[in-house]
Amino acid sequence: MDFLLNPYYLQIIMFIIINAILGISIYLTMATGQLSLGNAGFMSIGAYVSALLTLKAGVPLYVAVPVGGAAACLMAAVIGIPTTRLRGIYLAIATLGFGEVVRVVILNLTITNGALGLSGIPSMSVMLSKVFTAMGLAAGIGGMSVRQLGNISVIFILAIILGFLVFFALRLSTSRLGRAFAAIKADEHAAEVSGIDTRYYKLLAFFMGAFVAGIAGGLAAHITFYIGPKDFAYHRAVEILLFAVLGGSDVVWGPLLGSLILTLLPEVLRFATEYREMIYGGILVIMMAFRPQGLISEDTLGFWQKKLMSKSEASTQGEISRRTTR
Amino acid sequence: MSLVIEQVTKQFGGLMALANINFSVNAGEIVGVIGPNGAGKTTLFNLITGVLTPSSGEIRYQNQPLVGLKSHKITELGIARTFQNIRLFGHLTALDNVLVGAHCRTQAGLWQGVWHTGSQQAEEKDTRKRARELLELVGIGEDEASLAGALPYGKQRRLEIARALASQPNLLLLDEPAAGMNESETDDLQVLIKKIQGMGIAIILIEHDMGLVMNICDKLVVLNFGKKIAEGVPQMVQDDPAVIEAYLGKEEEEDAEN
Amino acid sequence: MFWQQMVNGITLGSTYALIALGYTLIFGVLNIVNMAHGEIFMFGAFVGLILATKFNIGIFGALLGAMVAGAVLGYLMERLALRPLRRRKVSELAPLISTIGVSIFLESLALRLFGPQAQSFPGVYSTQLFEIGGLKISAVQILILAISFGLMLVLRFWLSKTQLGKSIRATAENIETANLLGVDTQKIIVLTVMLASALGGGAGVLVGLAFNAIEPTMGITMGFKGLAVLILGGLGNITGAMVGGLLLGVAEVFSVAYGVSSYRDAVAFGLIIVLLFLRPQGLFGSQEQQGGR
Ligand SMILES: Nc1ncnc2c1ncn2[C@@H]1O[C@H](COP(=O)(O)OP(=O)(O)O)[C@@H](O)[C@H]1O
Ligand SMILES: [Mg+2]
Repeated sequence: MDFLLNPYYLQIIMFIIINAILGISIYLTMATGQLSLGNAGFMSIGAYVSALLTLKAGVPLYVAVPVGGAAACLMAAVIGIPTTRLRGIYLAIATLGFGEVVRVVILNLTITNGALGLSGIPSMSVMLSKVFTAMGLAAGIGGMSVRQLGNISVIFILAIILGFLVFFALRLSTSRLGRAFAAIKADEHAAEVSGIDTRYYKLLAFFMGAFVAGIAGGLAAHITFYIGPKDFAYHRAVEILLFAVLGGSDVVWGPLLGSLILTLLPEVLRFATEYREMIYGGILVIMMAFRPQGLISEDTLGFWQKKLMSKSEASTQGEISRRTTR
Repeated sequence: MSLVIEQVTKQFGGLMALANINFSVNAGEIVGVIGPNGAGKTTLFNLITGVLTPSSGEIRYQNQPLVGLKSHKITELGIARTFQNIRLFGHLTALDNVLVGAHCRTQAGLWQGVWHTGSQQAEEKDTRKRARELLELVGIGEDEASLAGALPYGKQRRLEIARALASQPNLLLLDEPAAGMNESETDDLQVLIKKIQGMGIAIILIEHDMGLVMNICDKLVVLNFGKKIAEGVPQMVQDDPAVIEAYLGKEEEEDAEN
Repeated sequence: MFWQQMVNGITLGSTYALIALGYTLIFGVLNIVNMAHGEIFMFGAFVGLILATKFNIGIFGALLGAMVAGAVLGYLMERLALRPLRRRKVSELAPLISTIGVSIFLESLALRLFGPQAQSFPGVYSTQLFEIGGLKISAVQILILAISFGLMLVLRFWLSKTQLGKSIRATAENIETANLLGVDTQKIIVLTVMLASALGGGAGVLVGLAFNAIEPTMGITMGFKGLAVLILGGLGNITGAMVGGLLLGVAEVFSVAYGVSSYRDAVAFGLIIVLLFLRPQGLFGSQEQQGGR
């Protein structure tokens, strides 16, 4: 229990969930076979918009975060509309450049406080603690202080958001739209001729990815109290891409696994922190050479499903035969 | 008149792939397009389906001009096609491939798909049922759960037809559907094409198998080096000296290559 | 004032053009965007710096050394990160991702080897100023202009006149046909990557001279600009890369001169977004249309 309440571990859990949400954001875009390198940029827009709304305009948190997501979506339209009609490479480069432009703009505006970044962003857990205090739980419950209660509730809320997004992604992948996405990913040209408005769905997927990244940015801002332009540079974009490349982008579980592994890696292996970028670079090269579909692909899922099924079948059969021999 | 092609020309740089082509397809008709490799047959399909835009000329379908429309719009208007080099969605199951084909005849959007609304469930059930019927029709009903890429060649060709039919076309473009099939498979294909015609669907058939073409086409259009060199009922075209020359010339070339 | 800025812009632009040429050569032949080009460029700058300061071999020796270093890195990248991907059919985004991996690997390696702080070339050339018709131009600027235009001219000549150059162009045109014609395309690919990387390494030294400061992170910033020029000029278009580079250099210098200096690094992508709306094939690209078969 003490272990679970350790604020350090709680923080890591929060980061894992935020990164998992980012994993879903890149999954949504990649579901149509598009590569967006702008998710760090979209994340920064969500983070700054939400932080500024709460800091300067006193907008409540639960309004500010979705507005941040919507703002990210709006920016996605500016890049997406000219580029999604072109081949995939254009989107990759334009989104990369977009991330850079956003960083430069944030660095230079006064309202974003330039290179210093924004601090004192209203914290989600503090807000929740206040709510609990107002409810008369100032002394905490079950040995937990009101502060710990706040932290646990934050994790709870993040988990619900993540859970919903996973549900959303799963339902999407088995629906008419998901099939259209998969068809575009497999063969964009054949999909278009089969009657799918490929441009529209590619934009839709790109927007959804941007929105979710914006939400993740907003949530991150209200967890860490501080954001700066450095948090959303090229390396962050590469890290988000890595979630999908390592875990795989065929099924939503892929980027989730990827984000889990990559968030935990530096915590578990000391040397991994020091050589982090080199390891990341190596992973990208090795995955592309040997397993471009990532650790989890549809085949892997099918394989394990079969294996587990046949195992349980075998055990029931064993039971039956034992019974009959008796 | 269902499809009208008028003075259509397509140039690739200096190459004249099609030059001033005219012909038309009536409702319910099977029109064969034949000609040696490189004659411009596939290019013709690409122009009709909006994959490429003609350098000049007009294409009308049920009196509506097609030039400038996007491919998916043209499919929605009722023209579906298959590809000479099979282009299935390899990682999707056979059934899903057909369901993708039905995309433009279904409605369920993001919201309905995520919340499994009643209308979405009903539509999904209905679409699946029709997709299975199409798989049965082309004779691969038992393969619905197989990945399209894992199916044998002949079945892939049939699956492509099923996917095209799922968009409920009035005009079906088949690009060398018998290529790589053996004799008995080709016979089955002939029966299938006749059946599709029986459903009231007009067909343009690009094919090298002369037996098949002669048996089922109501009309033939012969292309050579991008020019239409003959058009008419199969028997007449067969005896046309220009056609004989185009084909004989080609055979000599092939001999020389071998 | 205007013409002075123009001279500065063209000098800067000629280095951008040199960087973009590397991108465009590789794109032309392999149809991939080499995201590690900026880092190879940065390594070239450091190798040149070390040769010039520690070994005192003069600026031309440094330039040559940087180009050799670039070529070696290019060779290694081709063997380790590009060739394994050609064994099977992969999406066009796979090599992009793979070279992103190379880029952050090299950047991080440079941080370990050279440290994060900016370093500068010995200032022997930057102090000399010439006046030509009222325009001030430094020895460094003249050097940069001469070398980058020289390299570009040599490249053009080499591509159009020599046997190897012709093979490269044939491979860029159509790799299968080139193969049939008896071109050893594997060799041509390696050669192209090495050539492009050598140009990148050389550009590193020139930019080091122009800005008088080099640091490991400049691979990303300058790489981005090269990418912008690649799109500006049209993917795989050599003339486009040269003109696009010059254009970007001039645009940047003017944006600094007329008051938006801090947005200088955003100019490149601002240009791209506008261009993608108006002319997606790039300034010099031709509309591509690919049929379904
Ligand atoms: N997208 C394209 N770009 C350039 N040339 C093409 C294109 N598509 C077809 N061609 C050329 O047009 C000619 C006709 O090709 P095609 O229509 O595929 O012939 P067919 O289907 O009759 O064998 C060929 O010479 C081919 O190389
Ligand atoms: Mg053909």
